Amino acid sequence: MTDQPIQNCGKCGLCLSVCPVYQVLKQEQASPRARLQLIKAFEKKDLSASPLLKDLVSQCLMCGACKVACPSGINHYAKFMEMREQLAKAQPDPPAIRSLVYLLAKEYRLRMGAGLARIGRRLTPAALEKKYKIGNIPVSRFPEMNRRPLRSTLPRVSPAKDTAGGYSRGNPRGRVVYFTGCATNYMFAETGQATVNILTRLGYEVVIPDGQTCCGIPMMFHGARDQAVENMAVNLTAIQEAMRENGGDTTENARGTAAENCDAMDKACDEAAKNCDAVIVDCTTCGAALKDEYPALMNTNADSRHATLTQKIAPDMPETIAGKTRDILSFLHDHIDDLAAAMKQDTSKHKVIYHAPCHSRNSFNSMAKVLDLLKALPCFDYIPVPDAAACCGGGGTFFYEYPDISQKMMAKKLANARAAGADYWLTDCPVCRINLHGSLSGQDSLKVVHPVTLISKGLGE
Amino acid sequence: MISPDLTKKFTAIVDPTRWLDKKEQLTCYAYDAFVEESMPDAVIFPETTDEVSQILVLASAHKIPVTGRGAGTSVCGAPVPVHHGLVICFSKMDRIIEINTRDRYIIVEPGVVNADVQAALAPYGFFFPPDPGSMNSATIGGNIAQNAGGPRCLKYGVTLDYILSLEVVLASGKVITFGSKNIKDVTGYKLAALFCGSEGTLGLVTKAILKVVPLPETMKTIMATFKDLDDTAKAVTDIIGSGILPAAMELMDRLTLNAIEDKAGLGLDREAAGTLLIEVDGVAEACDKQIRQISEKLVANHAVNIQEAGSAADRERLWTARRSAYGVFAKLAPDIISEDVTVPVSRIPEMVRRITQITDKYKLRVGVLAHAGDGNMHPMIPADKSNAEEWSRVTAAFDEIFQAAADLDGTLSGEHGIGLAKSKYLPLVMNQDTIDFMKTIKQAVDPDGILNPGKFV
Repeated sequence: MTDQPIQNCGKCGLCLSVCPVYQVLKQEQASPRARLQLIKAFEKKDLSASPLLKDLVSQCLMCGACKVACPSGINHYAKFMEMREQLAKAQPDPPAIRSLVYLLAKEYRLRMGAGLARIGRRLTPAALEKKYKIGNIPVSRFPEMNRRPLRSTLPRVSPAKDTAGGYSRGNPRGRVVYFTGCATNYMFAETGQATVNILTRLGYEVVIPDGQTCCGIPMMFHGARDQAVENMAVNLTAIQEAMRENGGDTTENARGTAAENCDAMDKACDEAAKNCDAVIVDCTTCGAALKDEYPALMNTNADSRHATLTQKIAPDMPETIAGKTRDILSFLHDHIDDLAAAMKQDTSKHKVIYHAPCHSRNSFNSMAKVLDLLKALPCFDYIPVPDAAACCGGGGTFFYEYPDISQKMMAKKLANARAAGADYWLTDCPVCRINLHGSLSGQDSLKVVHPVTLISKGLGE
Repeated sequence: MISPDLTKKFTAIVDPTRWLDKKEQLTCYAYDAFVEESMPDAVIFPETTDEVSQILVLASAHKIPVTGRGAGTSVCGAPVPVHHGLVICFSKMDRIIEINTRDRYIIVEPGVVNADVQAALAPYGFFFPPDPGSMNSATIGGNIAQNAGGPRCLKYGVTLDYILSLEVVLASGKVITFGSKNIKDVTGYKLAALFCGSEGTLGLVTKAILKVVPLPETMKTIMATFKDLDDTAKAVTDIIGSGILPAAMELMDRLTLNAIEDKAGLGLDREAAGTLLIEVDGVAEACDKQIRQISEKLVANHAVNIQEAGSAADRERLWTARRSAYGVFAKLAPDIISEDVTVPVSRIPEMVRRITQITDKYKLRVGVLAHAGDGNMHPMIPADKSNAEEWSRVTAAFDEIFQAAADLDGTLSGEHGIGLAKSKYLPLVMNQDTIDFMKTIKQAVDPDGILNPGKFV
């Protein structure tokens, strides 16, 4: 369905019932409908790009629930992103946010930043760590950085393992590209290790693209479209190479003839790209970038360097990649029986509850599949909690910018989670993970992990 | 404009975080789901009856217009502050004070959302029947002010039928309470009928005791399609006329159905000229019998296809589709006018014919949607208000539609209210003495006319 112009918003108010920020503040100016009205007023020049307007537009998690619920087909998400860009030009973000965008814009900065953060944590006295907070989260409850970035510890191509179904290194079930995202690369290495282990144990060959970097969503949220385009170009080029180059036997053979015939090689590469089964993400926000944002960004000429940056990308590649992008849990859902069968007989059952991140619900619509997995796999003893689909208040940098609202969203979730008596609080978004873990205290035994960690354990290494 | 001095006095009543007066903020309180917009001078969020009372004492003393607001989901412009002044927004008075199913009531503050009332009652096996299309966002205060209805009001009655008691703050700031926790109560005037549906022109509700009823044991839903819209309307008249009372009976014409199908993709029959969504509830055996009787009538009126919702999920899908009708229509054009002229059930076929004749005459698209079982029509016309020529045809068409309803012993509004949308049509259905009588009441209760000025009275 094509997006409708915001003039077609019927102001019916249905979005109020699904907006986590409105539900906390109970004030119309915090609702998606109001933000559209504000944008209309801004476009008509009834309102200027004031700090207050920026605040009202920014007081939003960018969770996309309004877009999904809207009966009039308004794409609030895209409209808000555009408006944020305009307002960021007029009213620069605070230094902390600008630093984040600066850091995420180049992989080497990020790598260095992560290293420094690790050293910084080692040098920070424990007392200070407890005292200082980012948003509501004490510094001591932030995740430690990986000792080494995940991607530097994994091979570019992880071969398929032998499976009961007869797949093996020489005869893989298929080939998938794994886009790790920054959080897994720098903070949550075990999520990446688990993802690769599960996929290879299912008989897939896993290719990790060289040179991938931050997906760019954080920049888009803060109006830095030019940087986002740059990151998109880097990532699409990297994923394209990964999809093309490792085509198993077919490509190897084709490569033999490549020296004589470039066309044949291109053809073989395209064939290989087509044969790639999926582009896997373990973070649905990165996934939303690949699936929804990149094709749209390709069509904007925000930056004069746009053409240069994107010249290596085949014209249909953004759409191809978008079409193949799968969140890991939905992908595993396709293999639910194989996974259950492959689990160790004596697998320990872990009591788990689930928190559905906004992009998992609103971009990938994966919640029902995740619950299927949690109910079907022998490593889980799934305990339902009433507000599994309620927002945790993380929302990218929302928890830092609006700690009071964020805390109110978390409060009820936290009480329900604690009452459930589970061992693990599962979620498939790194920001939710930081926020959930950060809101728990040292006394809580509840551990926050990505579901793949326990699935991987259940399969054994 | 509200002076800085006066602002100081208002913010002495409520915390300054509950007072808004910046243009950016006020922009967000200029509208509901109707097309007209008008900005207030300030918005205030009371949390207690006492605060509401103090606000009104101050507003009265300075003759500041006061317009109540809940979630702003009205479709007739009722909460749009056309005379500016102060908007009192009740969204933060949102406590459910007591649920007592033994005595069959619930006590709520006005800012509680209708759907939250339903969710709170469900574990007890009870519900609150009014179910306006906006029930997931709309507040009980707004439901009361507008005397809201909804599909199942065909069998169960509208908001007014469920009010046991109200606490109301008058323009003077005085707090009155009437009614009681008793289902039967004829002590004094039935004042609930005065305030419920008054659209905030007589007082502001700060607490309500509402009657609740047990959830039916079973619900069965069928959908029937027709090749002819006239046959569809006749089937409604025939079913209701034979003494069967479904819980809900919704009519949708082809344009409406296709708009819904575009959004929801339910596999509805896009070719059907008319569709009826009918629900019966009660004891399982009785439901089965009613469904049989209804099906016979549908067949007799040339229904081409009759389907029963197989599961609760199926049923929910059909109703979600129906509830989204207003929203999906909104995407057909920048503006949408949805009216709710209502006629006696036996006049439905004639009213449907006249609506299509009138809109044909003015070359307008119309979606005919109706809570058909109680004659509550919802003709919806998508148009572009900025196109003056088209808009004049829309206005002319509605003039004739209201006249047609009046000619058929109908009325202007079944459940949306008069608001800004229909004040000028009042003389079609009321003589001058009656209009004057309403003015007399208004004058007595709100002598300075500060409560929601610029509306129907």
